[in-house]
Amino acid sequence: MLILTRKVGEAITIADDITIKVLEVKGGQVKIGVDAPQHISIHRNEVFEKIMEENKRAAQETPQDLDALTDVFNTQS
Amino acid sequence: MIAVAEEQVDMSSITIATSRFGDIEVEPDKIITMTTPFPGFPEDKQFIIRSHSKNSPFMWFQSIDNPELAFVMIQATTIIPSYKPVIPPNIKEELHIEETHHETLLVLTIPQGKPQDMTANLLGPIVINPERKLSCQLLLDPNKFDPCWPVFAKDE
Repeated sequence: MLILTRKVGEAITIADDITIKVLEVKGGQVKIGVDAPQHISIHRNEVFEKIMEENKRAAQETPQDLDALTDVFNTQS
Repeated sequence: MIAVAEEQVDMSSITIATSRFGDIEVEPDKIITMTTPFPGFPEDKQFIIRSHSKNSPFMWFQSIDNPELAFVMIQATTIIPSYKPVIPPNIKEELHIEETHHETLLVLTIPQGKPQDMTANLLGPIVINPERKLSCQLLLDPNKFDPCWPVFAKDE
């Protein structure tokens, strides 16, 4: 991992068109601004991980027994 | 003499040996391609949608790349009519859904033996462009959307 030290107001550039700037450091939190082309997706890491986790759970828990699904709505309504 | 190119595009169906459905015939023009990797399943880029049974709201999102991988999904509006997540401009562009309509499906997690406890992932809906057969999973705001939303609220 490349580690860089930056002060508030300083930035780093990735490739030609992605800039990450430190906007504010306060109370153990860092506010970061990202400038990137529209086609680049930017997400908080934990959102990606949460969705990945839920996808894996959905794939694993899905019953082989398909009949479990059939009556679920009928019995509820 | 005119040389006739006998090149024929093979549009005949392919057979996938799935773990749940046995051998299924898949028509190539029904295959849906993920435009961005599916979180947790980056190798699975092609899927096919199969309805669970006649009149069932459930659908199976069966991977073509991994015959053992399938998700159960449902149209978002079937369980939450008001669910309308904002699709970011880059995703709209990626899926070409500016003009064409799109579908929003939710991945369901169904605990073994307890289908009543099924939850829907509202945080990561699957958006599909049915005309172009393109799809991706949105990553929404965890402060607004629940990844484990109980489908059958226990309000009785």
